[in-house]
Amino acid sequence: MTDQRSQAEIVRKSLKRRYRTERRFRLYGILAIFIALASLFILFADIISKGHTGFVKTTITLEVTLDSGMMYLDDPTDKDQWSSADFKAPIIAALQAQVPEAASAAEKRELGRFLGTFADSEIRDLLTKNPELLNTTQTIEFPAHDRVSVYVKHADNPRYSIKLSEQQQRWVDELLQKGIIDTSFNDVLFSRGDSREPANAGVLGAIVGSLLTMLVTLAISFPVGISAAVYLEEFAPQNKLTDFIEVNINNLAAVPSIIFGLLGLAVFINLFGMPRSVPVVGGLVLALMTLPTIIISSRAAIKSVPPSIREAAEGVGASKMQVVLHHVVPLAMPGMLTGSIIGMAQALGETAPLLLIGMVAFIVDVPDGLFSSATVLPVQIYLWASSSEQGFVELASAAIMVLLTFMIIMNALAIWLRKRLERRW
Amino acid sequence: MNTMSPSISAEADMQSKGAAVPVPEHKRKDTLMEDKPEDTVIEEGKTVGKPFTDNPKFKLRNVDVSYGADRAIKNISLDIGRNEVIAFIGPSGCGKSTFLRCLNRMNDSIEICRVKGSFELDGQNIYESKRDVVELRARVGMVFQKPNPFPKSIYDNVAYGPRIHGLANRKSELDDIVENSLRKAGLWNEAKDRLDAMATGMSGGQQQRLCIARAIAVSPEVILMDEPCSALDPIATARVEELIAEMSESYTIVIVTHSMQQAARVSNRTAYFHMGHLVEVNKTDTVFTSPQHPLTESYITGRFG
Amino acid sequence: MPNNKDQMYGDHISERFNNELLELKTRFLEMGGLVEAQLGNAVQALTANDSVLAEQVRTGDRGVDQMEIDIDEEAILIIARRQPAARDLRLVIAVIKMVVDLERVGDEAKKIAKLALKQEEEGQTSRGSVEVRHIGSHVHAMLHNSLDAFARLDAEQALRVMKEDKRVDEEYQAAARTLLTHMMEDTRNISRCMSIMWVLRALERVGDHACNLAENVIFMVKGEDVRHTPMEETERVVGR
Repeated sequence: MTDQRSQAEIVRKSLKRRYRTERRFRLYGILAIFIALASLFILFADIISKGHTGFVKTTITLEVTLDSGMMYLDDPTDKDQWSSADFKAPIIAALQAQVPEAASAAEKRELGRFLGTFADSEIRDLLTKNPELLNTTQTIEFPAHDRVSVYVKHADNPRYSIKLSEQQQRWVDELLQKGIIDTSFNDVLFSRGDSREPANAGVLGAIVGSLLTMLVTLAISFPVGISAAVYLEEFAPQNKLTDFIEVNINNLAAVPSIIFGLLGLAVFINLFGMPRSVPVVGGLVLALMTLPTIIISSRAAIKSVPPSIREAAEGVGASKMQVVLHHVVPLAMPGMLTGSIIGMAQALGETAPLLLIGMVAFIVDVPDGLFSSATVLPVQIYLWASSSEQGFVELASAAIMVLLTFMIIMNALAIWLRKRLERRW
Repeated sequence: MNTMSPSISAEADMQSKGAAVPVPEHKRKDTLMEDKPEDTVIEEGKTVGKPFTDNPKFKLRNVDVSYGADRAIKNISLDIGRNEVIAFIGPSGCGKSTFLRCLNRMNDSIEICRVKGSFELDGQNIYESKRDVVELRARVGMVFQKPNPFPKSIYDNVAYGPRIHGLANRKSELDDIVENSLRKAGLWNEAKDRLDAMATGMSGGQQQRLCIARAIAVSPEVILMDEPCSALDPIATARVEELIAEMSESYTIVIVTHSMQQAARVSNRTAYFHMGHLVEVNKTDTVFTSPQHPLTESYITGRFG
Repeated sequence: MPNNKDQMYGDHISERFNNELLELKTRFLEMGGLVEAQLGNAVQALTANDSVLAEQVRTGDRGVDQMEIDIDEEAILIIARRQPAARDLRLVIAVIKMVVDLERVGDEAKKIAKLALKQEEEGQTSRGSVEVRHIGSHVHAMLHNSLDAFARLDAEQALRVMKEDKRVDEEYQAAARTLLTHMMEDTRNISRCMSIMWVLRALERVGDHACNLAENVIFMVKGEDVRHTPMEETERVVGR
């Protein structure tokens, strides 16, 4: 009896210590999760705080009198006159009418700098399309120049106003009050390709490029990866060769992605003579890169199909092929799909191999096919982020948000697919 | 332990009264162990009892199975009669399941497994290279230890075998096969209103009966059962045993079981396996009342296993 | 011993099962010892006109009855708990059946004791006690030997007991004839001779019960039922 009691005493004492250890252990875990969440939060906060302005554009709306005398232009359809014509003159005149203070030629030039670089070509394009508008007055919206835009967006932060003189700042404030300069949702971001001018640059080209590239990647890596996994797991004989292949697939998954870029450059472009910087080549390279991931995750999914199902099918006389096609693959499909989508998400975020095959080029047009030059979202981000202009930095953050949105959608799709398909089981 | 035998005290009583009774000097042998059953030497290929029958369904001679260097089955010869229920019993690892799986070549997919000997089903060698294993498995069905329905509907589970073998040309024929199989498996009344429900949502006992229905849907001649009730509760077990008794009229059934009581209840003949040897084959009644081989006796009385 | 392998009831995986079977055997042998003593005392009381001993036998029978009930209960519990098979099953079944025979032997002993008391009351001399003593010791030996055969699982000894039964029957016939002669000589002897006849009849029944015990021992050891089989067949079973 006393023996038992003393034993209980010992247990109770050690219990305290055990609980303490457990609590400490739990604390470490919570701390780790907290650190992870905090860094994620900081990352998002930083990106959003920098990037949200990328979704806003600054415009200058003016009533422009398209006077032919002012522009030295008689016939807008005559291209020979374009070089001598001054398309900017009516805009500056309209602007000067709003800011009477700026009277001298130098001050007028200053005013002209408020406008985006391509303001004159906008007038030209308008007149080329509608020559009858010559000598009429039109209300036209122009993108503001980057430095005006930055000043307007960050009016409360003096750090961003240094590019404008005191006088200019006063003028901008005045125009703002009159509603001539205004901010609105940046639809340009989603409707244009890249541009030299931040106000005219958009991610549509990069998004389409990314989608085309992913299409190629999916079309190649999914069937090939799943076929390889099924063959290796179900049909391949156990010998030295298959062991060798297995080891190499696992190693491939660990190869740095830039090596795949080199491979793509050497094989697809130099050997097969495919064009540079097109989605097909990018897709092929990324497909090579995602293959090991898909094969490994698919094999894991196939392995996790319970052997009892195989036995059951064999037991009623299904052939090997029927066992695989009727039972193993359908049951492994959720796992395979999840693996593939995660592989795709990885490929979507990949930059390094695409740099090597030339998808880093400056491309203005939205790609219209698998063989037209294109760039992809992460490369576009890379390009913008390394640019010096403040407007591009904002755009880069905005593009990061777009990319993250795509990632989250893909991952959510993976989870949804798995949940939905697993319900069958 | 009580060392004083009561009959000895009674003898002393009698002696004192002058009865002329010879007093044998006896000791109690209860705990005396002359021969441990584990030490009994089994002669390879020698089976006690009656391993052979007239006009057998399966005629198995000199069967030897090895996994790599391990011999799992050591020179076994056995006949399995028509429409009989034969039970394979024996301690774990004695080779009974291995032997069972040889009967429809389920060991084929294990690469290191080598099977020797002659296996004749109705006089035809089932291990002949030109014989198709798919055809064999249509004739020799199997029910496994764990209920393993496909994750499909109840209907599709039963219809799967007939579908892949092309046993039904029309939907109505398939419906008939499914209904008959479920009826034979005693599951029709429980399942008829939810044929489209997932089979995995049924209880364990129902699942196992569904697996039996699935096996009989391709109208096999022999059904192999590998511990079919080991994952079931007693009531489900009783149902399956009842089913086995009913099915024995039209099928030859080979059942591996760890429950000796089950073997005693459902089988006509019982084969006792021990370390890859077939030690004894006899009528079940004989095996469970007075087995001939000491190893069988030790096993069924619970002295090892 | 021809077949020592058949002699084990121990060595189960379950030690408690071992003990239960051992306990059943021990209890049965205890009961056997008690019945043997009852029988010996009854014959002794009759031949020695010992009314005290006779009374002791009469009351002792209650103990035998109680033991029968206890052993049956224990056997039923073993069946329910352990589902014994083969040799264990045969032991339990044999014990259940043999307990009935033992109880009957106890009843016969009580009957003899009652007759001894009656004889003592009537003050009769113990004529015919030679036959009683002779057959008494004979069936006593049979009973003892069959219990011994049970204890040692000795089928051959059981077979010898079965063979003895024939001789007991012959002795009983001879004694009956002698008593009949007595009765014919002098009709006054009839009443006394009839009681002796009853005693002899009881002893002959004891021989039959001992024979049943021996049959059950053979069933237990050899696994074959030798009731209602010719002696040659039984010999073949035992000799196997």
